[in-house]
Amino acid sequence: MQRIWRATLVAVVALALAACTNAGASSGDGPVEKIRIGTLLDVTSWDPAQADIGFDGPYLSAVYDPLVALDEKSQPIPALATSWTYSPDRLTLTMRLRSEVTFSDGQPFDAAAAVANLNHLKAGVRSGQTYANVAAVRQVNADTIALRLKKKDDALLYNMGLGRSWMASPAAIKAKSLVARPVGSGPYTYDQGDSTPGSQYTFTRKPRHWDRRTYPFESVRVLPIADPTASFNAMLSGQLDVAYANAADTPHAKRNGWNIASKVATWVGIQFTDRTGKQLKPLGDVRVRRAINHAFDGAAILKSVGQGAGVATNQVFPAGDPAYDASLNDRYAFDLDKAKQLMAEAGYADGFRVTMPMSSIFQPWQPAVQQILGQIGIKVTWKNLSPADYQKNAATYPMFVAVVALDSNAAASVDGRIASQQWFNPNPSTEAFPRLHGLLGEIGDTTGKEQLAAIRRLNAEVTDQAWQDVWYQADNTYFSKKGITVTPITGMMFPTLRFLQRG
Amino acid sequence: MIRFTLRRLLSGAVLLVVVTSASFFLAHLAIGDPTPGLLGDSATPAQRAALREQLGLDRPLMTQFWDWLSHAVRGDFGTSWRNFQPVSDQIELRVPVTLSIVVAATLLAAVVGLVVGVATGLNPGGVLARVLKLASVVLFALPGFWVSLMLVMAFAIKLQWFPAVGYVPLSHSGTQWLRSITLPSIALALGAIVMIAEQLRNGFQEVNNQDFVRTLRARGLSARRVTVHVLRNASPAALTVLAVMFVGLLGGAIVVEIIFNLPGIGSLTQSASQIGDIPVLLGLTVVTVVFVVVVNFLLDLVLGWVNPKVREK
Repeated sequence: MQRIWRATLVAVVALALAACTNAGASSGDGPVEKIRIGTLLDVTSWDPAQADIGFDGPYLSAVYDPLVALDEKSQPIPALATSWTYSPDRLTLTMRLRSEVTFSDGQPFDAAAAVANLNHLKAGVRSGQTYANVAAVRQVNADTIALRLKKKDDALLYNMGLGRSWMASPAAIKAKSLVARPVGSGPYTYDQGDSTPGSQYTFTRKPRHWDRRTYPFESVRVLPIADPTASFNAMLSGQLDVAYANAADTPHAKRNGWNIASKVATWVGIQFTDRTGKQLKPLGDVRVRRAINHAFDGAAILKSVGQGAGVATNQVFPAGDPAYDASLNDRYAFDLDKAKQLMAEAGYADGFRVTMPMSSIFQPWQPAVQQILGQIGIKVTWKNLSPADYQKNAATYPMFVAVVALDSNAAASVDGRIASQQWFNPNPSTEAFPRLHGLLGEIGDTTGKEQLAAIRRLNAEVTDQAWQDVWYQADNTYFSKKGITVTPITGMMFPTLRFLQRG
Repeated sequence: MIRFTLRRLLSGAVLLVVVTSASFFLAHLAIGDPTPGLLGDSATPAQRAALREQLGLDRPLMTQFWDWLSHAVRGDFGTSWRNFQPVSDQIELRVPVTLSIVVAATLLAAVVGLVVGVATGLNPGGVLARVLKLASVVLFALPGFWVSLMLVMAFAIKLQWFPAVGYVPLSHSGTQWLRSITLPSIALALGAIVMIAEQLRNGFQEVNNQDFVRTLRARGLSARRVTVHVLRNASPAALTVLAVMFVGLLGGAIVVEIIFNLPGIGSLTQSASQIGDIPVLLGLTVVTVVFVVVVNFLLDLVLGWVNPKVREK
């Protein structure tokens, strides 16, 4: 018995001694040299063609350089491509490339490497969509490439900058070894020995990098932490300097004196897929769609379900975007009487029945939708689906509750939210809406300020046609310790390392 | 003994094949088309069809099953649908994490449970016995995640003795490894300690009143030697509970791994389930069933060693 007590005592002493070395302590009061970032998801893949844009930013931006980057206003800026020009017909994009850049395996970055990478990205299951309009990529000379387009693509440079133009060693692409180990020319090297896949990834700053000033931290550690409470605890215990945050923790973060950065990331509301009334006749009447828009109090739903983290609006162009028009937000002010009046005018004073899909992800909004639609006579029958099946099947119903990612580029928003086929928009045809159709054509034919003006008119038209019922745009929020600032970018669920700075 | 061993191994293999085959078909039925979860919001039907083709999902289900099974028996569980890395590589990385906390929790539960169980068995009306009774009520009433969070609040955030999240491999640093698994192991072990102690106390009291113990005392054996005899007779039930708990802790590790952000098989199971990564889920099923078979096999051996009567049966 004494032996057991002795063994217990030894174990306790060993633990106490182990506890004395507190590696979790934060970096002190001086300038932050090491940054520890808590993000929501593990790296999807080290192969840029198989990686996601959303949460892979901090990982991939550590080890890879992009051809095109984005600035804080989401404008494409030079990176490995130092400049670019479009041909007058906008069907050829010629890029000049940076010289004297080498990948971590010693391979040089040149036009041949860029062509190999773009072909690899074009063929990639996840990256391919960005290059859907690219017909071919060719090497013009040692430091110049040309992308020939099938049709004008005003969102191409933005999407490349968002995280679809990371350049990897052509040898590693050929060897298909990128999935397991990154080989890039980025500002940091991946320290495999000091990393535990799934738990933490350590990156060490290169002594020489062409863009060294943009990356001030000597080392970067990225921890994928899926649970918001665990992430918050890691901030409290000093294990993290930056965290993807739950907006509900904002008051606590303020009390701790942390920096809080947030920006809209998704729109939340009801997506109409049957605007011509093929499946459900009432939805073909714009007055019914307008009635539904008037019936929902977006600001109240944002406050109660969205914890107030976002902007109450009825637009799919992100708040602050040049195409966003604050004056349109009054178009569907919450007015139940008006909604009922519009239903009556459309001949549906007694309402109608609709079947909508539901899954666990969307359940927080289900009671509100059931009650509000019921108030204007629309009786909902719910069809329960698994989260994976929801994306597959939701758009087969005439309308459904949606949370859709936003883009901080007006042309990309037009393409991604309205004009092109997406899971939430299986039938992007606009022939039945002549004004809208004409505006899309006008956007396709113009560039610059003229195009932006056309996009703003499209935004007004889409809002007027009650193309969808947007309740609000929800924020992504990031906490950071004093001395570190985060600049959120709409379109990146977690910003790349260039948006994490001292300050 | 050889026949016994072979019989156990054969039944384990049958169990493995049945469970994994059933899991294969259930997973495909329940998850359906995984491409929406894998490709995200913006994927078009054409891209999804391309991915289905790439993953081999356009083939008949039986073809997919035989393909998977023929590779699985050679230890090849295919590649993850999420990151296209070999499933066996991911499991190899994750198993040590879960085993670290589950083995540590089991050892902790065994040692502390033994000490408390024997102490309360020897003195059933004492303070420790009353504390054990109260602890069993409290720990059953409190959810495991709440206990874990309290440990984090006290020892990671307030005192900063241990990390709130993360895992350091043993090969990297023994001290850091110990620090990273201490709180999760304690969180996992608390309930098990109480259950083992209670089981042992009950067994101890039961055996303590039997005739052979009185005979041993009458023969003048020291209290310590009598206690050892009582313990050997009282321990089979506690050992069975311990083995069952080890398997149970593998499942319970999911919550603890999420709260402490440990990259073990629990958190991998959760993330694979969310996106419908069937190859990973099936690989994890195989590993878990192997654990169950091995632990039960070892339990039989240990029970036979502790109590020879079991071998006779």
